[in-house]
Amino acid sequence: MAREQPIELFMPPNMLKAKVGGGTFAGLDMSAIRRAEAAMEGIKSEFAAWAASDVEKLMAARARFAKTPDSASRDAMLRAAHDMKGQAATFNYPLVARVSGSLSKLIGELPPEKPLPMGLVDAHVNAIHVIYRDKVMDESNKLALALSVELEGQVAEALKR
Amino acid sequence: MSYQFERLKVLVVDDNAHMRKLVTTILQAFGVIQIYEAESAERAWVVLRESNPDVCVLDWMMEGMSGLELVEMIRTNPQAPNPFMPVIMLTGHTHIDRVRQARDAGVNEFIAKPVSVKTMMQRLVAVIESPRPYVRTEAYFGPCRRRRGAEEYRGPERREKKDAAAQAAE
Repeated sequence: MAREQPIELFMPPNMLKAKVGGGTFAGLDMSAIRRAEAAMEGIKSEFAAWAASDVEKLMAARARFAKTPDSASRDAMLRAAHDMKGQAATFNYPLVARVSGSLSKLIGELPPEKPLPMGLVDAHVNAIHVIYRDKVMDESNKLALALSVELEGQVAEALKR
Repeated sequence: MSYQFERLKVLVVDDNAHMRKLVTTILQAFGVIQIYEAESAERAWVVLRESNPDVCVLDWMMEGMSGLELVEMIRTNPQAPNPFMPVIMLTGHTHIDRVRQARDAGVNEFIAKPVSVKTMMQRLVAVIESPRPYVRTEAYFGPCRRRRGAEEYRGPERREKKDAAAQAAE
């Protein structure tokens, strides 16, 4: 394959460095990192409410898809699952993140012309709801872990078909 | 001397309010005062032109215009206030194909979710201290997509030797 020839390669002036300074190379500002970590601890009490609203959002997206199964409602369900995957680990729900990741993979990687296996979608949504409801924050919880592994296996099978 | 983050204007774009709160909490703790928030790429485009932020922290997957489409507008639309603005993309996608896709749109740095304080600081420092050169080709405008320092390679030219050997064999 022919390599794309650059027409122009240039270094714009580093206005950002000029603006924020920081000496020759200030590196990571450890005091700022400590302040931010303390601030994160401070908002952790809000995480439970955030996670609850994300679970509701996912269930609402699922209900919307059941009523109107079009690409917009499918995308909304994917976004809800994807958001939850991204945030659940921060919220200390690693298995919710794992099951949401599995659901994202199913919706995101199944070709759009193929119908979603709704039984499998529902199994994911219900699993997320139950893991969150029972406050399973332990990644090694046997039941939730077995459920996650089973769902991931079924998604792999569904994507092969 | 530490950075004067209070001079920085940062735009945070995410359709998830919780994620915006998380990112702004971290940035505020770093000392960033001027933080603009947008709940969609469309709104971000308006804020960009009004406020000309220095850095954009952007989610990939949003309803309507995606984060990638916004990056392409920032880089190529004549109405963009600063086509060189560093973009740090937040993403749950870690597959290499997705990373390539974002890089090809002109993203400077990535943060894989879940967001951590240290990673956020590392990416901010990266755009301040190690900006990439920019490339303009017929098909692309944005930060150089080669690994940093690749153009400074000083090792043996294996390709040339291979070519010479092939020519000698002919």
